[in-house]
Amino acid sequence: MEDINTYFLSVVLASLLMNFTIALYAIFFKPHYVKKVIALTILGDTVNTFAIFIGYRRWVDQTPSRIPVLTDLSSEGVEEFINLAVDPLPQALVLTAIVIGLAVILFLVFLGWILYSHYKTLDMREIKRLRG
Amino acid sequence: MRLVEIVVLIIIILATAYLITVGLRHILPSTNVRPIAKFYLNATYNPFELGNYTVMSPEAVTAIVWDFRGLDTLFETSVFYLALIAGLALTRGLLVEYVEKSGYGLSVVVKTVTKITAPMIMAVGASIALHGHLTPGGGFQGGSVVAVLPMIIIIVFSAGFLVLKGVTTSKLIIMRSLGLFGIGLTAMAVFLVGVALGTPAYVFQNMSKPSAGISMPSHIFGVLISGTLWFFNLFEMFAVAAGFTIAFITLMLARGLETKRGE
Repeated sequence: MEDINTYFLSVVLASLLMNFTIALYAIFFKPHYVKKVIALTILGDTVNTFAIFIGYRRWVDQTPSRIPVLTDLSSEGVEEFINLAVDPLPQALVLTAIVIGLAVILFLVFLGWILYSHYKTLDMREIKRLRG
Repeated sequence: MRLVEIVVLIIIILATAYLITVGLRHILPSTNVRPIAKFYLNATYNPFELGNYTVMSPEAVTAIVWDFRGLDTLFETSVFYLALIAGLALTRGLLVEYVEKSGYGLSVVVKTVTKITAPMIMAVGASIALHGHLTPGGGFQGGSVVAVLPMIIIIVFSAGFLVLKGVTTSKLIIMRSLGLFGIGLTAMAVFLVGVALGTPAYVFQNMSKPSAGISMPSHIFGVLISGTLWFFNLFEMFAVAAGFTIAFITLMLARGLETKRGE
């Protein structure tokens, strides 16, 4: 049972790595600006999912692991919470990272719009040719 | 170009191999979490054992975001604000004058449904933000949900509907600045009270510490508000909702550059 769980978690890990690679490829080699921005969002989301994945906790004795929200406000509840809840720190960091990523995407969208107004295209090969 | 691709591929393969070799034991989740996670889980709501060190917030993520790492979140909010200012600077002077014409927008059915669901969207957003210290969510998530509403209104009615109804970008910037001011005031509140009373207190202090005796009230009329966290979530919701709405309106209405270049 333990091996099967490890195998499935490894599948998630491998998918994340594959997703990461594809997004990096698209950022570097896709010529269109919007596709680059979309690939950047995919990259950011993959990294965020990876952080959440690291903070996950396996089930203890067939008891599902909990979200880091305390529901039973008593001393025993806190004890059980510490023994079952997943790691809250990656989730807090991901929350910060999402907002920062959003700010970057927002700026890139405005920038792409200005780029289109100037060059009448968002194809990076065209923009390289028109430069100067 | 071919060389660059090959080098990138080799680097990715080597990095993956390194990751698998070194980190697999730490990357794959186990039945136990790290000691620092246990510390956070223990300290988030624990007035039973840690009287002076708890945050009094049942939501561990909000406790970390606005208390343990509060300064981090403050600057994160500033980064979002700066991105917005950069966007407004790039589109300065390009907002078109919008003239109302009849017959814009989607059909009557869609408009009516939007009018009915609009308060519900607001209620869901406010609920997510104001219960941020009790349930998953918080100020940013609640603000994002509230900001769905102007997007829907822009699509269903027309691009300039909000501006015509008086929701202009300058008013929204004032609202956003008031939200940020509220966040700053909440961060300074305990410190200012400490200065007034002549007792030691910290900036970004929430609950009392052994070296600083005063604290924000954790309950108001018996309702748990977790001290500063409730106020942070409230002001953050206003700031984020206003910020998103500014971005939507600007992206919808900034049209001037193409025509100016065409002349």
